[in-house]
Amino acid sequence: MSATTAPAAPAARAATASPPSPPSKRKSKLYRRENLVAAAFIALPLVGFLTFAIGPFLYSIYASFTNWNMLSSPTWIGLANYRQAFGDPYFRTSLFNTFFYMIGIPIGLALSLTLALAMNRRMPGQSFFRAIYYVPVVSSLAAVSILWQWAYNGDFGLVNQALELIGVDGPNWLMNVSTVKPALIIMAIWKGLGYSMLLYLAALQSVPRSLYEAAELDGASSMKRFWHITLPMVQPVTFFLVVTNIIAGSQIFTEINIMTPTGGPEFSSASVVWYIWRQAFSNLQMGYASAMAVLLGILVFLITAFQFWLNARNAHEGVD
Amino acid sequence: MFGNFSRRSLLGGIGAAAMAAGLAACGGETSTGSSSSASGSAAGGAGVELTYMFRGGEDERKAYDQAIAAFEKQTGAKVKVIVTDADQYRTKLQAAITGNQVPDVFYLEQGSVMAFAKNGIVKNITPDIEAAGLDIDRVWKYGVDSYRFDGDQVGQGDIYGLPKDVGPFSFGYNKTMLEAAGIPLPDKDKPYTWAEFREVAKQLTKDEQWGTGLNVVWNLQAWVWSNGADWADEERRTVTVDTPEFAEALQDFADIQLVDKSTPSVEQAQTMDTYQRWMRGQIGFFPVGPWDVSTYRELDFEWDLIPWPVGKTGETATWLGSLGISVSNKTKHPELATQLAMFLSADEETQRSLYKAGVQIPNLVDMAEGEYLDDELAPANKEEFVQIARDYGRALPAAETWSPEWYDDFWIDIQQVLDGKVTAADWLAQVQPRMQQKLDQANMAAGR
Repeated sequence: MSATTAPAAPAARAATASPPSPPSKRKSKLYRRENLVAAAFIALPLVGFLTFAIGPFLYSIYASFTNWNMLSSPTWIGLANYRQAFGDPYFRTSLFNTFFYMIGIPIGLALSLTLALAMNRRMPGQSFFRAIYYVPVVSSLAAVSILWQWAYNGDFGLVNQALELIGVDGPNWLMNVSTVKPALIIMAIWKGLGYSMLLYLAALQSVPRSLYEAAELDGASSMKRFWHITLPMVQPVTFFLVVTNIIAGSQIFTEINIMTPTGGPEFSSASVVWYIWRQAFSNLQMGYASAMAVLLGILVFLITAFQFWLNARNAHEGVD
Repeated sequence: MFGNFSRRSLLGGIGAAAMAAGLAACGGETSTGSSSSASGSAAGGAGVELTYMFRGGEDERKAYDQAIAAFEKQTGAKVKVIVTDADQYRTKLQAAITGNQVPDVFYLEQGSVMAFAKNGIVKNITPDIEAAGLDIDRVWKYGVDSYRFDGDQVGQGDIYGLPKDVGPFSFGYNKTMLEAAGIPLPDKDKPYTWAEFREVAKQLTKDEQWGTGLNVVWNLQAWVWSNGADWADEERRTVTVDTPEFAEALQDFADIQLVDKSTPSVEQAQTMDTYQRWMRGQIGFFPVGPWDVSTYRELDFEWDLIPWPVGKTGETATWLGSLGISVSNKTKHPELATQLAMFLSADEETQRSLYKAGVQIPNLVDMAEGEYLDDELAPANKEEFVQIARDYGRALPAAETWSPEWYDDFWIDIQQVLDGKVTAADWLAQVQPRMQQKLDQANMAAGR
């Protein structure tokens, strides 16, 4: 039984003698049938992917070269939309805002790693706390946004009431140019904390105990053990989280649209996707919106590629 | 018979007209200019399903449910209702259009008339209205004109929709508060001047009480227009915010807070806070729309309507909103669909239940000027709503342009003026070119 399932055995046999043709044919027939069944299994999601992801993706690339108001058919205008995007101060501002929000990513990761370390210890109520921190992750973003909008209210908001207790006169968070972005970042960190924490927790638990024991015997301090064992061992998770957070962060929309429906004071909270959506659906410029979406897509792709390159280089250096 | 909009005769009239249109079509004439089939005649609605997409609150839904039930009963047609909340409506409608699934009858925003008519999404229902012999003069002229388009400008030409409502944005005051402060009540026919208004607002302001608290986005219009200024010229080609009259109006508006401190705080003018405070009886003067009436009737203080304070023209001014009901150009049952639109816009019983619920004023002029005014429910000065609808209400500046982008741009950093970081005149000079560029773009997109 083991001979038929282990791939090494047939491969070894094939290397020593020229394979007899009839069995090979039989095998390929079998393989073919299996392949067909496999293909049938993946056909459904594949068709879905082609129809709902690749199709619209290609169409939006086409649309980005057209003048299209979604009411009549698109007309080809070449690169005009892209030229407009490069000259559009609101596009630049919304890009800046979007990347500004990403300040929250390292902060969130540091916090969630700290939390994961805490949760990884044996302590009473451990699973209770794990669940508590995960609740925001499974809550509806729209509902959470409305709650935070209330919490940030300048007069009656929970945040300012709490600040008042320690004698701080809080600002009107969402109405103030200098506080609206930090306010949204704080909320995003809070919302994503549980998810990152859970991944870190899993990573921490898979770090072999023996490494710590060996380090301890060598007299490494707990700080040293963290820097030289824990951090490198959870690095793949960190990498995964950074990449996915940047991709998700570049698409931030729901909380912006709910908490600052007009793009915030002086356009200071508008994100790229929010601006794209507004151009497409309020201002009848689907072509222009598509062009900005394509630009955003390219940018995200470049950043992600750069991260992979950086990751590969670091891993290589680590081996050296 | 056709001059009367009672439910039975409205339907009968349309049915007869549709049949006449059908007969004419058989004779080779398409007198209605619409579909040449008679399949949609009122009596022959059986088996037909119309889709109707709209947005609205609880009270409105209830009123329209009744109307639709009556429509179904009398025509035999079935109406499939699609309701969305206000935020999603536009996106959903766009998706329906792109997906070639336009509902037969749907709400159309004033600002969309030009784009939708020009691209053949909505049907020109002028012939159907004429064929049905409906006395369109019974509906607010402003309401009907809002959905007229002549190929270049909104407000004239063929009719592409009927008003679902007209929304006069009036000014209210807390009568109880003024009486307690010993301030003479404002005259309902003689508006305050700006100076008088600011003086009263100052007198009312003390610790947990303020003279007013106006959101700039919805209230500045009254100041600007009554001072003889506007956002753009009549043709909607030139942005005119950089005039001295405009600057004067904006500065006066800002000074209510900056100089007089008669509002809770500048930031709060953009939040719900002043609305909450008005309802708690902490604010003297606050805007009131017909859609607020059902809520405000529950307030534990007395309130009433007055004209908006006036600038140097001496004429009070405010905006008058509207939402339209249009018929898809691709509907398979044009007569029946048009009939539904007319029914929803002008059926007497529906209009009565809507005004009684305190969500809108009647669309029918004679009803608004008659039984609506006689109705005993608050506000006492309902006449003000009627006057706005009939005499002096104006469309919001972006209602007649291809896209609202140029007008939206105005509000983006107006806070600087309200915060006193820059004077109105300086800021307006800087914002004008920006808006002009966007208006040019919009006019270009419209092919004007």
